[in-house]
Amino acid sequence: MRIKSIIISIILFLTLNFNVAALVIGSDEEEILIDANFSGQDLLVFGAFYADPSQPRDEKGDLLIEVVGPSEDVMLRKKKSFMGFWLNAYQVEFRDIPGFYYLSSTAGIDKEFLDKNSIGILKAKRSSEIDWSSLTINWGRVNSDADKKEFNDALIRTKTRENLYKETNDEIEILDGNLFKTNIHIPNTVPVGEYAVNVYLIIDETITKQYSYHFTVTRIGIEEAIYNLAFDFPLFYGLISLTIAVITGWSGAELFRRFRKS
Amino acid sequence: MSIYLPIAELSVNLFVLLSLGGVVGFLSGMFGLGGGFLMTPLLIFIGIPTNVAVATSANQIVASSISGTIGHWRQGLVDFKMGGVLLIGSIFGSILGIWIFKTLVSSGQIETVISILYFVLLFSIGSLMLIESSQVIRDRIRKKTVKKKIHYHNWAHKLPFKVRFYKSKLYISIIPPIIIGFFIGVLSATMGIGGAFILIPAMIYFLGMPTSKVIGTSLFQIIFITAIITLLHTTTTFAVDAILAFFLIISSVIGAQLGVLAANKLRGEEIRALLAIIVLVVAVKIALDLLVPPEEIFNLSVLRVIF
Repeated sequence: MRIKSIIISIILFLTLNFNVAALVIGSDEEEILIDANFSGQDLLVFGAFYADPSQPRDEKGDLLIEVVGPSEDVMLRKKKSFMGFWLNAYQVEFRDIPGFYYLSSTAGIDKEFLDKNSIGILKAKRSSEIDWSSLTINWGRVNSDADKKEFNDALIRTKTRENLYKETNDEIEILDGNLFKTNIHIPNTVPVGEYAVNVYLIIDETITKQYSYHFTVTRIGIEEAIYNLAFDFPLFYGLISLTIAVITGWSGAELFRRFRKS
Repeated sequence: MSIYLPIAELSVNLFVLLSLGGVVGFLSGMFGLGGGFLMTPLLIFIGIPTNVAVATSANQIVASSISGTIGHWRQGLVDFKMGGVLLIGSIFGSILGIWIFKTLVSSGQIETVISILYFVLLFSIGSLMLIESSQVIRDRIRKKTVKKKIHYHNWAHKLPFKVRFYKSKLYISIIPPIIIGFFIGVLSATMGIGGAFILIPAMIYFLGMPTSKVIGTSLFQIIFITAIITLLHTTTTFAVDAILAFFLIISSVIGAQLGVLAANKLRGEEIRALLAIIVLVVAVKIALDLLVPPEEIFNLSVLRVIF
């Protein structure tokens, strides 16, 4: 769908002679490193945009910043009461959904615009007529459209509560009419992998310029070593874990015995 | 200060982690238990995924039970032969338990089943201990002394394959200890506990072992069963978090030694009454979680990250 918007902007570029608009962005991070002290990090995205560089003080145009994390498959389960006990009763598997999604816009952008351009988490959320076939989902025993919508809403609600999905329209700071900056919070629960940042310049309800770049979230140091060991050499990892337990338990008892004697 | 856990894939406050390990260690040192039955629910409570909490608790119990066994062994209170027989049963039990655990994880019922099992076990054991210890305390207040038999003669003495256990002064069939070991193995693997709080009463009442030898012997066999379970988890569920385990082990070993000191200042029945109350509080909390309508009836788990 993004290709469609790029095509639209190219067509506009050619027909309406829109070559006067400009968008430049920068960021302070190309890599976010997860080490032992990682507790989340802020990503600074900044830049300048001009609807018309010959009118630098013209406060025209809106911005849309989208951060899309690596894809993942998730299982969403719904509890139901059985004889007073709340048990997992229904489950739906969502495939290939973003593990992190952030959408930030300046106040001028409304929901209809996003619908029209198919921007948003699981685009289906917004439209009144949901196209279920566009999503790769294993619905299991969930049949009706109302139930499907409930699962869809629950997915977004849960991810939002975990700070992994966010939509906001008051975080982009516009300085001096043409400069912008924003801080995007990357929480400590983010998945590892490649992230895309897409910045759109929107003039007169049309995407005029688009700029994309990537950054990665990587484990480093001991975090990386432990993760790799646990998945690549599980038996060895288990034996190391046991050795640490044996040594610590034994020396704890020894130290204490000497402490009591003295 | 927070620390990132590579397998759980989230960061937790280090101070919370250390105090949790310290408190559980203190209680386990005081009551002679592994402490897994408290550790696992508490880890889940602070946000650690259930599978990581269960698998990592097993690793932590290896350390605390080694620490405890050494203390008892120095006083000659470990029956290695009985421990070995129990272990044979629990090896088979833990293999079945890991299979049950994997099946439950994939069916989505792991949380519920673990909660129900915990409730049933903790509630029944907590009530029995509270009744027993309060009777002893009441008798002491009334200055009544009750003479107890050294051990009970029951069905465990009538089965074939009888073996002499010199340390425990027993001559019984090896079938009951193997069955008990098997049952403990299943429980340990599915719930991430050593099973001492079930094993200890079972050894006293079913096998008729002298109470003084029971704690050390159960700790001895728990070392091996939790070690096997740790290995089974690292190779099948990949859920043991080494960083989490490390901080829990350090703090619980220190806590356990302080717990032993504290235990010396209290009478046996007072300790048992206190433990019974703690166990019942945990049981009631688990029951409420199952019975009170949840605020969010949906829960999400990540199956696979696509690179």
